[in-house]
Amino acid sequence: MGKPVAIIGTGQTNHGRRRDVSYPELVREAVVAAFEDAGITPQDIDGVVSGTMPSMMEGISLTHFYFADALCQVGKPILKVETCGSTGQSLGHCGYYWVASGMGDIVLVVGHEKMHEGDSQATMTTVFDPFFQQTFAAGAPGIFTMQCMEWMYRFNIDEQKAREAAALVSVSNHDNAFDNPYAHIKIRVTVDDVKSAKVITYPVRLLDVCPNSDGACAVIFASEEKAKKICKKPAWIKGMGFRGEEFFFGESDKSVWPSATEAAKEAYNMAGIRDPLKELDVAEVYNPFTYQEMIFYECFGFCPRGEGPDYVLKGTFKKGGKLPCDPSGGTLCTNPIGATGLIRLAESVLQVTGKAGDRQVEGAKLALSHAMGGTDQFNGITIVSSEL
Amino acid sequence: MRRVAIASMAQSSGGESRDSLMDFTFRVAKEALDKAGMTRDEVGCIMIGSSDIFHSGLSCSNSFDWDGTGAFLKEGSRAEESIFAFIYACMRIMSGQFDTVLVTSLVKGSENPDNDACTSFFADPFYLRPVGMNETTAAAMQMREYMWRYSITEEQCAKVVEKNLGNALYNPYAHIKKKVTIDDVLSSPTISDPLKVLECAPKSDGVVSVLLASEEKVGELTNRPVWLKGYGCSIDHFYPGDRDLLDGELKTAAAAAYKMAGITDPKKEIDVAEICEPYAFQELLWCEQLGLCGEGEGGTLIDSGVTRMNGTLPVNPSGGVLAMNPYVSRGLYRIVEAALQIRGRAGEHQVDKDVKTALAHGTQGFAGQCHSVVILEG
Repeated sequence: MGKPVAIIGTGQTNHGRRRDVSYPELVREAVVAAFEDAGITPQDIDGVVSGTMPSMMEGISLTHFYFADALCQVGKPILKVETCGSTGQSLGHCGYYWVASGMGDIVLVVGHEKMHEGDSQATMTTVFDPFFQQTFAAGAPGIFTMQCMEWMYRFNIDEQKAREAAALVSVSNHDNAFDNPYAHIKIRVTVDDVKSAKVITYPVRLLDVCPNSDGACAVIFASEEKAKKICKKPAWIKGMGFRGEEFFFGESDKSVWPSATEAAKEAYNMAGIRDPLKELDVAEVYNPFTYQEMIFYECFGFCPRGEGPDYVLKGTFKKGGKLPCDPSGGTLCTNPIGATGLIRLAESVLQVTGKAGDRQVEGAKLALSHAMGGTDQFNGITIVSSEL
Repeated sequence: MRRVAIASMAQSSGGESRDSLMDFTFRVAKEALDKAGMTRDEVGCIMIGSSDIFHSGLSCSNSFDWDGTGAFLKEGSRAEESIFAFIYACMRIMSGQFDTVLVTSLVKGSENPDNDACTSFFADPFYLRPVGMNETTAAAMQMREYMWRYSITEEQCAKVVEKNLGNALYNPYAHIKKKVTIDDVLSSPTISDPLKVLECAPKSDGVVSVLLASEEKVGELTNRPVWLKGYGCSIDHFYPGDRDLLDGELKTAAAAAYKMAGITDPKKEIDVAEICEPYAFQELLWCEQLGLCGEGEGGTLIDSGVTRMNGTLPVNPSGGVLAMNPYVSRGLYRIVEAALQIRGRAGEHQVDKDVKTALAHGTQGFAGQCHSVVILEG
């Protein structure tokens, strides 16, 4: 790992259907919260990184123009970074490199999406090329369902067992969301509710799927010198990884998911982690679909291939388990896409700095955050620690 | 700060390509690697500069771009604009984490709607879009104000077209090949008063790749490294009505770049400039704000001939954006052209003088809302 870089503040909006604010106002809400958390002013910022999923989701392109004033950063250098659903993690990585390069001491990183102003599934269908894939792709669920079927078949996972485990994943995320003041969906659900919910694309049901949310998240990165001066308890970046695979869905093996596996490996190498299940205290896994969350556990080395459901049934990843995952309620309960990956990072920072409130995992020191994007194509990971 | 150099470059021509975008991208990215004798496996990181809506109607363009740029299962990312991608790639090297980064910017304008169908989507849907704001209408307002405040004439603005399209005749990669006179420009149809058709940039295809390397590594890849010396970027208010369109953020961006590069007198120290001028008059205005001439002196600058190919401070010897406008990639094209001039390898559009320090500039947004300035040195 190169130069130490810290995170000194985070800010989130109240995520949900935000009819009360315009898109720039939503962005500003997160930015102002981050400034307050870090105890600095907009003048202290040397540069800003901004991004959405695709800009076009809300009918405005290159949104950094529109948000220049909302970001409080007129007259400053800006970088717009976007990698589809993994945007949030890519934004964070850019914030790290900006500070680590020495080109700036304090960098503001902002992710945002106001999904109720657009048609997200229509947008996602146009991620596919117009000639081959767009004709049969049906937004995000179609792709993720194909992946989960492939995974169950490949590892000979009993469908009923996977169904039971996925339902537990849904229940625990929905329960966790009640501890998170920013979360969007707050409903109590039972395993039976999940199993009898409306089918979206078999076997994925309504309660296996994330919502559309409006929301923004801001994270402030600082050099070691500045962080020590400004912040009593910063979080330190320990490892990062980002990988992408082929554009054509059929070309890669999504049941072992090389991009997820390799991104994690890269981040672990950088952070010096050998046994993630043992060493990590908490993980914020990007989980727009319950089944997919279990595939991530396997790719990230939390459990052996094909055993994700068994570990879930054992309670390994729920609150109080060996490695609590998504104590925030995760993507499953809150998904403003361009912000979602950055919310994962912000939540992991709150955990290692002891600021996570009711969702705090006792004594968390080392946390993983993650985001996924494209047609199951991209995975980005950041590992933060309470120690330098 | 760790030094970063350009090790190799490749660019496509701006005319319509028959290749699919993926093949088109691959060809140029591969050429940049080949020139440095590198394989994809040896590159540390891949950086993409591309944009969703300017890219054949695909959302999340990095999804499609990933294969052609050579990023499969490699560390990488994507920025929405090519100079953003360039500087982010430089930051990755400066951080010490990577020794090489391949930056590729791509767009296939021939498969997209008109520029302004795209730029009108910069406008918010409530105030600016209903009044028909796009980059051309915003530029027209800026030009009117520029002519009024500083007594710049239409002839002086038209001279930029005559100069740049004249230069483009010698640039094999340029899209527009047309010898035009000042009269041709002034008698071409008005597109958005006072802007004439010939004063507005075309819409081009364009894939451009740059292989960046650390100081330790670059010696193995080339004997003519071109060094990044300075960078500055600044963004202005969104609503054009909140801004003085003739006193924008380019000054801030330039000041930052000059400070980093240790330049105190840009007029003397810059040997050649590649400036992003999607509208002819903007070359004059940007020259003022870059400190290449005094305030309000853009007209005199073009009249004096110093910015011609054989002048003392040539501007856009490649023909600039007026001759070739691959919207997303155009900033990185300026960097590549500036670097070619430093290497003395620009071919028939190589300037007559020795080039040690060159400036590359990129801008996007209404009337230049966001500017980037890059200083390169041999």
